[in-house]
Amino acid sequence: MAVTPAKSSRNAFGQIILLAAGLVVLTVISATSVYLVNKAREDAGWVLHSLEVENEISLAQLQMRRAESSQRGFLLTSRPEFRTAFEEAASQLSPSFERLKALTIDNPYQRERLQQMIPQTNQRMEQLRHGIELTLANRQTEAAEIARQEAGRDAMGQIRDLASEMRGEEDRLFAARTASADASQSLSASITSIGSGLVVVFAGLSIFLVRRSSRARDDAEAQLRDTNLNLESMVEERTGDLREANEEIQRFAYIVSHDLRSPLVNIMGFTSELEELRGDIFKRIATLSRPDEAPPPATEESAAVVEPLLDGPDKQLSQDFTEALGFIKSSIGKMDRLISAILNLTREGRREFQPVPVAMRDLIENIASTMAHQASEADAQIRVEPLPDIVSDRLALEQIFSNLIDNALKYLKPGVPGDIAIRGRRKLGFSIYEITDNGRGIDPKDHQRIFDLFRRAGTQDRPGQGIGLAHVRALVRRLGGTMSVSSELNTGSTFTVTLPATWTGINRDKQA
Amino acid sequence: MSKPVTIIMIEDDEGHARLIERNIRRSGVNNEIKPFTNGTDAVNYLFGTDGSGLPHKGEALLILLDLNLPDMTGIDILRRVKENKYLKCAPVVVLTTTDDSQEIKRCYELGCNVYITKPVNYESFANAIRQLGLFFSVIQVPQAAP
Repeated sequence: MAVTPAKSSRNAFGQIILLAAGLVVLTVISATSVYLVNKAREDAGWVLHSLEVENEISLAQLQMRRAESSQRGFLLTSRPEFRTAFEEAASQLSPSFERLKALTIDNPYQRERLQQMIPQTNQRMEQLRHGIELTLANRQTEAAEIARQEAGRDAMGQIRDLASEMRGEEDRLFAARTASADASQSLSASITSIGSGLVVVFAGLSIFLVRRSSRARDDAEAQLRDTNLNLESMVEERTGDLREANEEIQRFAYIVSHDLRSPLVNIMGFTSELEELRGDIFKRIATLSRPDEAPPPATEESAAVVEPLLDGPDKQLSQDFTEALGFIKSSIGKMDRLISAILNLTREGRREFQPVPVAMRDLIENIASTMAHQASEADAQIRVEPLPDIVSDRLALEQIFSNLIDNALKYLKPGVPGDIAIRGRRKLGFSIYEITDNGRGIDPKDHQRIFDLFRRAGTQDRPGQGIGLAHVRALVRRLGGTMSVSSELNTGSTFTVTLPATWTGINRDKQA
Repeated sequence: MSKPVTIIMIEDDEGHARLIERNIRRSGVNNEIKPFTNGTDAVNYLFGTDGSGLPHKGEALLILLDLNLPDMTGIDILRRVKENKYLKCAPVVVLTTTDDSQEIKRCYELGCNVYITKPVNYESFANAIRQLGLFFSVIQVPQAAP
């Protein structure tokens, strides 16, 4: 399954939206809950308030009744305990009204009732107290008379009506407040449950989306793995193709160079035959052009060696003949050397390398000692510094370093004593060797060219086919290494050969 | 030599054949030289039409063999010669441009008697062939098995 970027970004966007929505819902729920809880608490407070008011009204009535009954008791018995009880109840009344005032300060209806109730109550209390005072003055009958009259006026009944009106009002408020509290609570409950439901739905959607995208990711991963495998097999295939092509080129080079040799033998052979014929022809011309002179007394062998005496044009002809033959022969010689070089290269390419531990310093010193004669002729010294040992193909290493040292000796600056140093170090599993000379150097524009087959750089005053460095680089590559040169004209050159410290016998061409 | 030795020269390059013949003659060898320019003709001549090699019973042969032939490799001819009961005693001189050590080893393993690489340098070439001619003039060649 291919997940297009647009689709995956849409998925991601949808998830963000969902999460944001969930967050918003949660916030709203929390805020609403806090608000509603506060409201419920307030409502509960109001409910409590109503109860308090009712309670206070009842308390006030109770005190009044107590005062009344205590007064009656006193009127009948004149006992001081009743008087004390009356005074106590009377004293409790006014704080009770104060509390009621405070409690009903917000409710004009209740206040109005209270305003009517307080003077009536006070008046009633005064009458009661008057009764007691009459009794104290031993005018009991008068007091009883007043009490009787009062009972008929039913002052107490008015106060009771007012109280019950107030209570009724408070009951109404209580009911309303309870209903309001219930409403807020049920609203809070429903909002919480709706919100929770939404959150659950969002969570479900999120889980679905996450699962879908994770499935998409798994699919993509599987695809990537497949692609990787494919890539590996493709690389393997290409490597195989390249290897085959390389082998084919080697075979081709071998066959071509080999087959070129046959005609070359003929050319060379018949050229030599021609040369011999030339000797015979010009000898005859010499004899024919001078019939009068006696032929030189030459034996069979000396005839080929001794140049016959010839006149002007004939001599010129003979010289041209010799020159032509000379060019042909030198060209054939050159061609033969080139073909031999290609043959050797292809042969090297086909040789199997064997990795063995090699003491590099010994190897280089051996090479240096075989070149001691050349070095002393060139007035050069070869310094071998301590070198890291290596596991690689011994013969290939010998060829690499003898070629490089030979080149260093070959291209010294005339008139300057040569100084060739071989240094080495080890770095990250690679052994790095440097061959430094103080010779004539190489122009930087030729740095690539010198590694090409049959190409050379600088003054062409030394024998060579332009094979050495091409061969060296091919060998270094087969050993899994790289090589480079750094040089300026007239300042000497440094060739750096980097080889794996432990070559396993698998070169880069044959991996996979 | 009770019977003159016939030199069978199997060489696809006529120029080479001419040079070889010339130089052998120069060394004073006057034996008959039968040149073949391809493998098939040579095989037909050597082994006869039935492939048994019977026609050369009792003859003394010396085979000069080039390895790179247009229609077959000289190595096949060498193997067949050395496997044939009439011809196996005939000396075989491999004269070729190949100087590959594997090839040389293989030829000797198959029973070749002399392996010579043709030098490109004509002096050396002529010299080599002349020496070969001198060698021919002194070696004893057995007659093919009766």
